[in-house]
Amino acid sequence: MATLITIAVLILLYIVLIQVGKTVEKVRELRGESGDYEKSGNINATLMMVFLVLFFAGIVYSAIYMWPKLLPASASDHGLKIEALFNLTLLLTGIVFIITHILLFWFTYIYRQQKGRKAYFFAHNSTLELVWSAIPAVTMAILVVWGIKVWFEIFPNHDDLPKNRIVIEATGKQFNWLIRYPGKDGVLGRRLITKENVSPTNELGIDFSDPASHDDFFASEIHMVKDRPVEFLLGALDVLHSFYLPHMRLKMDCVPGVPTGLSFTPIRSNDDTRDLLKENPDWQKIDPETNEPRWKNFKYELACAELCGKSHYGMQMNVFVESQKEYDAWMNAQKPIYAGAAKADTAATAVTPETMEMGKDSTVAPAKEAGNAVEASTANAKH
Amino acid sequence: MESILGNGPEGGKLTNEFYYSLVTMHGTILVFFVLTAGLSGTFANLLIPYQIGARDMASGFLNMLSYWFFFTSGVVMLASLFIQTGPASGGWTMYPPVNGMSNVAVNQGSGLGTDLWIFSMALFIVSSLLGGLNYIATILNLRTKGMSMFKMPLTVWALLFTAILGVLGFPALLAAVVLMEFDRLLDTSFYLSNIVLNGQLMDYKGGSPILYQHLFWFLGHPEVYIIIVPAMGLVSEILSVNSRKPIFGYRAMVIAIGVIVCLGFLVWAHHMFVTGMNPFIGSIFVLFTLLIAVPSAVKVFNWITTIWRGNLRLTPAMLFAIGFVSMFISGGLTGIFLGNSTVDIPLHDTYFVVAHFHIVMGVAAFFGMFAGVYHWFPKMFGRFINDTLGYIHFFVTIVCAYAIFFPMHFMLSLPRRYYIYTNFQTFQGLEDISKFISVFAIISFLAQLLFVVNIIYSAFKGREMTNDARNPWGSNTLEWTTPVEHFHGNWHGELPEVHRWPYDYSNGFGKEDFRPQTLPLEPGEEAH
Repeated sequence: MATLITIAVLILLYIVLIQVGKTVEKVRELRGESGDYEKSGNINATLMMVFLVLFFAGIVYSAIYMWPKLLPASASDHGLKIEALFNLTLLLTGIVFIITHILLFWFTYIYRQQKGRKAYFFAHNSTLELVWSAIPAVTMAILVVWGIKVWFEIFPNHDDLPKNRIVIEATGKQFNWLIRYPGKDGVLGRRLITKENVSPTNELGIDFSDPASHDDFFASEIHMVKDRPVEFLLGALDVLHSFYLPHMRLKMDCVPGVPTGLSFTPIRSNDDTRDLLKENPDWQKIDPETNEPRWKNFKYELACAELCGKSHYGMQMNVFVESQKEYDAWMNAQKPIYAGAAKADTAATAVTPETMEMGKDSTVAPAKEAGNAVEASTANAKH
Repeated sequence: MESILGNGPEGGKLTNEFYYSLVTMHGTILVFFVLTAGLSGTFANLLIPYQIGARDMASGFLNMLSYWFFFTSGVVMLASLFIQTGPASGGWTMYPPVNGMSNVAVNQGSGLGTDLWIFSMALFIVSSLLGGLNYIATILNLRTKGMSMFKMPLTVWALLFTAILGVLGFPALLAAVVLMEFDRLLDTSFYLSNIVLNGQLMDYKGGSPILYQHLFWFLGHPEVYIIIVPAMGLVSEILSVNSRKPIFGYRAMVIAIGVIVCLGFLVWAHHMFVTGMNPFIGSIFVLFTLLIAVPSAVKVFNWITTIWRGNLRLTPAMLFAIGFVSMFISGGLTGIFLGNSTVDIPLHDTYFVVAHFHIVMGVAAFFGMFAGVYHWFPKMFGRFINDTLGYIHFFVTIVCAYAIFFPMHFMLSLPRRYYIYTNFQTFQGLEDISKFISVFAIISFLAQLLFVVNIIYSAFKGREMTNDARNPWGSNTLEWTTPVEHFHGNWHGELPEVHRWPYDYSNGFGKEDFRPQTLPLEPGEEAH
C-alpha cells in the first residue's frame, strides 16, 4: 500500500512539474520572449550565487560536525608524516578550490546576459597561460619531492629495517586473518608450500621440521609494543585482501603468491589514545551496550580494504599497542602451534564440519557470522 | 519508508551477495555502458560529421557493426542478472583471484556471472574499437574544404583524442579478460599462484594477480579520460557559445588534451600503490600522475577566463557546463591527494576515493553529457527542450551531487564496498552521514527521472525549431547550417566551405556577435 501511494504521489509530482514547465513556456511565447534568457538569467545567476554561499556554508558545517568523528591522532610514526603531507596538500588545494569557485560563480553572476553588454573579445594571452602553467608545475614539484621522500621512508630497503623489530606474519583468507607470531626465538618457522605439506590443519604449510617453527603461535588479536618497530609479513591464501590499520594510517594488499610487507613503529598505546578521546564529545557519549562512556572501551582495529567476497566487511580484528611488560605477559599465555600439531588429525575432523556449516548461511546475521569466523580462527589456532 | 526499503542492511531486503552484485553491475554499467557509450558513442556520431562538414561517417558499415556489438554486449551483461548464481560480484575491476576462478564457493558471482561479464566486455571492446577507428578515419579524412585541423571545434578535437585513447587502451583490457577466462576455463595460471582453498593447495603456479591489475589499469586509467575528455570538448563549445566569447587559449586547450592523453597512458599504476608493487615503480608513477595536474589546471583556468567579461546566456546547457567546471575542480583537486603515493596509503580503497572519482568522472561527466543534450537537443529532435524543467533538473542535481559526495570525503577512514560497517568500533558514528547521503541520493534520482520525462515530453511536444531560425544559439559551427529535418547527406547541394576558426564571437565585425565558419574573412579580420 505504502509503495502504491508513493508511486502515485511521484507520478502526480511529475505531472505538476510538466504543467509548470509547459505554462512558463507558453507565457514566454505569448510575451514574445521565447529564446530570451535575460529575465530567467537574472534568477538563475542569483541562484548560482546562493548555491555558492550554501555550498561553502555546508562545507564548514560538515567539517565542524564531522571533526569529533574523525579518527584520533595517528598511532604510528609513518602516520604522522603522511598526515603532514596530507595537511599541506589540503592547504594548497583548499586555496585553489576557494579561489576558482568564487571566480567561477561570481563571473556567472556579474557577467550574466544584460541589455547593452558586449562580450570582450579575448582569444589568448601567452603570458597569462605561461604563468598558470608554471604555478601548478612548481606546486606539484614540491608535492612530488616531499611525497617520494616520505614514500621511501615508509618503504625502506629491507636491510635497513631496525634490528629490534618484532616480526609478525599476517595472512588473509576468506574471511578472517591468520596472525602468526614467531614466539620467543623471534624467528618465524619456514613455510613449505607443497601439496603434501598444506592441509586443512596447516593451511599456511608451516614446515615443522624447522625448529624455529616450534614456538610460533597463532593469535586472535594483534599485539604490538609501543615505540618498538614492527614488521608485518603479509600474504593471502585464497584471494586478494588488504591489511588495513586505520589508526596507524597504513595499508598494504595481501596477494596470493606474492609476498608483501609493511613496517612501522606504533607510537601511541591504546591507553594513550583512550586518554585523548576522553576529551572528545563524541566519545563521551554513553554506549547503550556497556552503559559506559564510549572512550572507555576504545580499541584499535584491523580491517580488510580489498573486496574479497561476500563477507569482505567481516574481517575485523582487535589490535593492541601496549608496554613491553604487558606484551610479554600476553605472549607467555599463548600456546605454540607445534604442541597441537601432533593431534592435528583428530582436530581436523573436529573443526572442518563446523567451518563448513558456517559457510552455508551467511545472510541471516552477517555481523555475527564475522564474529564466528574470528572464533573459528581462534579455534583453529588453538586446536 | 521502512515498508518499502526495509530497515537497514540487517533485516533489510538486500543480502550481502546481492549487494556486491549490485556494486559490481553499478560500476560496470555506469563506466562502460552509460558514460563511455553515452558520451563518445552518441556525441561522436552526432557531432563529428556535422561539425567537420561531412555527409556521413567514413564507414557506415563499421558504424552499424559497432552499434550491434554494443547492443549485444548490453543484452549479455543484463542477462547475467537473471541467472541462478547472479551477476558478477567481485567489483567492476574484476580483480582475480576472487573473479579469476570459476568457483562459486569463493564468490557466488564468479560462476556464470563472471563468464558473461567477460563475454559482454569482449563484445563491448570490439564495438568500441570499431567505433573508434571510424571516428579517427572520419575526422582525418572527411573534413570539408577549408576545415584544417586547427579550424575544428574543440568538441571534435576531444572526440578525436578520445577515439585514440580507446583504440590504444581497450586491446589491453581485452587481453586481460581473455587471459582471465583461460584461467577460469582451461586452468591456466596467468594470474594465479599458491592458492589454498579449504586447506588444499590448488594446481595454479607462477601467475600473479598484480599482472592483471597492470593490464586492467592500462585501459582502466585511460578509460577515465575516455569518459571525461568528450565532456571537456562539449563543455568548451557550450561555454564559448553561451558566453558570446571565443574559448580562451584554443591551441593551449588542444595541446592540454593532447598532453593529458599522452600522460594518461603513463599513470595507470597509481591505482596500485599499495598492491605490493615495487615502491620504486610507485615513485615514478607519482611524478607522472601529479604532472597531469598541469594541463588540467590550464584547462580550468582557460574555462574561467572564457566566461570572464562575457555576456553569459544562462541556458540549462550553460548552467550544466559551469557545473561541470565546478565538479572538475572539486574532484580534480582530491586527485592530488590520491596521486601522491604517500598520502594514498591511508586513503586507498576508502570513501575518499569513492568521493573523488564520483565527482570527477561520474558527476562531471554526467554534467558534460547533460549540457550536451540540452544544447544540441534542437539539432537532435527539431524541437526545444523545456527550459524550466531543465533549470529544476540542474539546481536539484548540483545540490544533491555535492550533498552526496562532499560529505564522503569525511568518511576517509571507512573502506569502500562494505555491506555493513557497524561491526567495527572505528567506523561507528558515520551512520548519520550515511543516512544524509541516502536521502539526497533518492532526491537526485527523482531529478534524473524528471530529465528523462522532459526529453520524452519535449521530443514530441516541445517548441518547434523552424528552418528560418535554424541557428538558435547564434553558433559559428557547421551543424547549425543544416536544415532542421534529418536526411542522409546532411547538406542539400554542396558541402559548406570553411574560412575561419569556430570561435569568432563578438570580434567587432558584422552586425551580429557571431561569425559563422562559412563566412569569408573580411579585410582587417584576424585569422586564428
